[in-house]
Amino acid sequence: MTQISNTPSVDTIVGGYQKRAVWRVALVVAAALILFATVVIDVITGPADLSFWRVAKVILNPSVATTKEEVIIWDLRLPVAMMAVVVGAMLGVSGAELQTILNNPLAEPFTLGLSMAASFGAAVAIVLGWSVLPGVGALFVTVNAFVFAMGASLLLFLVTRMRGANPETMILMGIAMMFTFNALLAFLQYGASELQLAQLIFWQLGSLARATWPKVAICVVILAIVLPYFLSRSWALTALRMGEDKAAALGVNVNALRLMVLAGVSLLSAVAVSFVGAIAFVGLVAPHIARMIVGEDQRGFLPLSALAGALILSGTSILSKAITPGIVYPIGMITSLIGIPFFVSLILGQRKRHWQ
Amino acid sequence: MNTRFMSGFALLLAAIVTFLTPATSAQAEALTLTDIAGRQVTLNELPDKIILGEGRMMYAIAAITEGNPFENIVGWKDDLVQFDPDAFRKLEAAFPAETERMINFGNPYAGDFSIEGVLEADADLVLLDSGNLFKAEETGLIEKLDKAGVPVVFIDFRRNATENTVPSLLILGRIFGEEAGAAEFIDFYIAEMRKVTNVVDKIPAEERPLVVVENAAGWQPDFCCWSFGPYNYGRFVELAGGVNYASTLANAYSVTLSMEGVLEADPDHVIGTGANWAEAKPEVTSTLLGYEGDPDVNAEKIAALAARPGFAELRAVQAGNYHSIYHQFYNSPYHFVAVQQIAKWLYPDDFEDLDPQDTFNRLHEEFMPYEASGQFWLSVDKAIQ
Repeated sequence: MTQISNTPSVDTIVGGYQKRAVWRVALVVAAALILFATVVIDVITGPADLSFWRVAKVILNPSVATTKEEVIIWDLRLPVAMMAVVVGAMLGVSGAELQTILNNPLAEPFTLGLSMAASFGAAVAIVLGWSVLPGVGALFVTVNAFVFAMGASLLLFLVTRMRGANPETMILMGIAMMFTFNALLAFLQYGASELQLAQLIFWQLGSLARATWPKVAICVVILAIVLPYFLSRSWALTALRMGEDKAAALGVNVNALRLMVLAGVSLLSAVAVSFVGAIAFVGLVAPHIARMIVGEDQRGFLPLSALAGALILSGTSILSKAITPGIVYPIGMITSLIGIPFFVSLILGQRKRHWQ
Repeated sequence: MNTRFMSGFALLLAAIVTFLTPATSAQAEALTLTDIAGRQVTLNELPDKIILGEGRMMYAIAAITEGNPFENIVGWKDDLVQFDPDAFRKLEAAFPAETERMINFGNPYAGDFSIEGVLEADADLVLLDSGNLFKAEETGLIEKLDKAGVPVVFIDFRRNATENTVPSLLILGRIFGEEAGAAEFIDFYIAEMRKVTNVVDKIPAEERPLVVVENAAGWQPDFCCWSFGPYNYGRFVELAGGVNYASTLANAYSVTLSMEGVLEADPDHVIGTGANWAEAKPEVTSTLLGYEGDPDVNAEKIAALAARPGFAELRAVQAGNYHSIYHQFYNSPYHFVAVQQIAKWLYPDDFEDLDPQDTFNRLHEEFMPYEASGQFWLSVDKAIQ
């Protein structure tokens, strides 16, 4: 009755696969639960002293709230908390897919110059008063930021269409753009008045303070369009991580995939930065955290990147309120401050290499 | 003996110098002064081709000079034209040829400010504001101008407004050869400031009302609130007997407040600043205060500001204690008018006899080359609620 064989039975393979699939789902669910907990903490913290139960009551039954509570919870805290989650997820997903299609662990909207382009677009509006699209009224700072970020992606796009262009060309092009926009921005800064400068700083360092429900809704819609598309291409994207040639051999049209994903990422990151300003590090760190936990399989990697991004930004939102209650700190400043030590400890604590 | 000999010698020397050099309006006498940045500057003679790092320095210069305030000035930055067009048009109406003659040198710290332009204009002094000392050092501006032989003097009416106004006026008096005018204005300044501080000093700390200052309310239509720590308008509030909310949070010039914190603090008064920014920045929703301020327009603007999400819930708004005041008092030696008006808002009974509008009118009658007009402050109407 003894079966001497090194190859595991079909049952074992199927069982192992199923186990892994269950494990992946469990991880995503666990991350989602932790995120929910941070959002709850985010909503109950603030300079106004409102208990957990009071906040819960006001959210579940808005009619019991006093006007002040209604304003604090519904107009001030909830939009900021939601914006943190959605923008964090958008940046996490953008970083994850940029790293995948460019095959580079340092790719993210910030390093590729998209955030800097958005900041420069905003600065052009703030300092020079120029609007790229006429007739957008008071929204022109946001619109300018969006147009510049999309323009920067378009440039990256054109580079991919060039003959002989490879991911390295795109990365270098992105870095060149980042430095160009950075220099242009510095130029505008020197000419800015005191008020313009204050406005600019919040752009460059990112801020959730101007979150509103319509902005949250726009972000949710964009994410709801782009994320399912990325998930539908999970197999192809996972294959791409084994190398361009292998992916092509498996029947993936690598160039078309790259273009489509880049288009999606551009939309995600341009919308995110035009609403909250340039927030560094989330797009870079979130995918690495996800990769360390679930590996390269996009079915786990992508949702976890989104959740990790949302978690980082939500945590930062709590922290930014806790430093000095009553004062608003630019959030991008804090993401870098808490993100870097966490990231370094993760890298140094890892035994095996996650980036191959 | 010795000193008499020395002064006789100096007189002789001066006579020779006067004899040798062609007569100019400026006295040929070296002037050494310490500026607001603490730098010692020596001017070989009174400058008569001065460049203003900020056009708004004219607020002070026009107040201390007898006659034409532009006489010794060749150019400026166009901030006055852009951010306080009302005041610019007042100057323009009074001295049309002179404002026409002004060269716009742009921002001293930006690339468009060229040393060549300064030399071309034959400038003999550049006046900068000490709030930008760091930028001036960082960009090498002082060094470059030094090499070109153009001295730089720092003054300040903004960063540490209440502390630096008198010394800045003294410096301007010496540079423009208007010591008498400066002294007269300083007397006026001190007298008007004391009208408030003498009364406020007797008010115990626990009776002082809480005030939130909103710097440039409506500059960004979707965002609140920039505020001042214990500087500038924050300091004006403290001098007027209020507790400045942002000062309780941070000891910084500029503090960004969270709206929720403001709601929770529920201050007794909210004071926003506004100026006629609409010409340079059409999207602003601020009150357009200034020499051309229209009470009807501003009543609508302040009602809209007080109706922003969250503001309607504030005790201050409901009680008609939401105020708006001319932003540019923050960068001019006339801030005693703001201090008086704030004191009147905070303590209407104690300052019943104080009339800030009269102070403002007298300021113009006695010192300014143009008359007072327009609207410089207002409060929201209680009935609007």
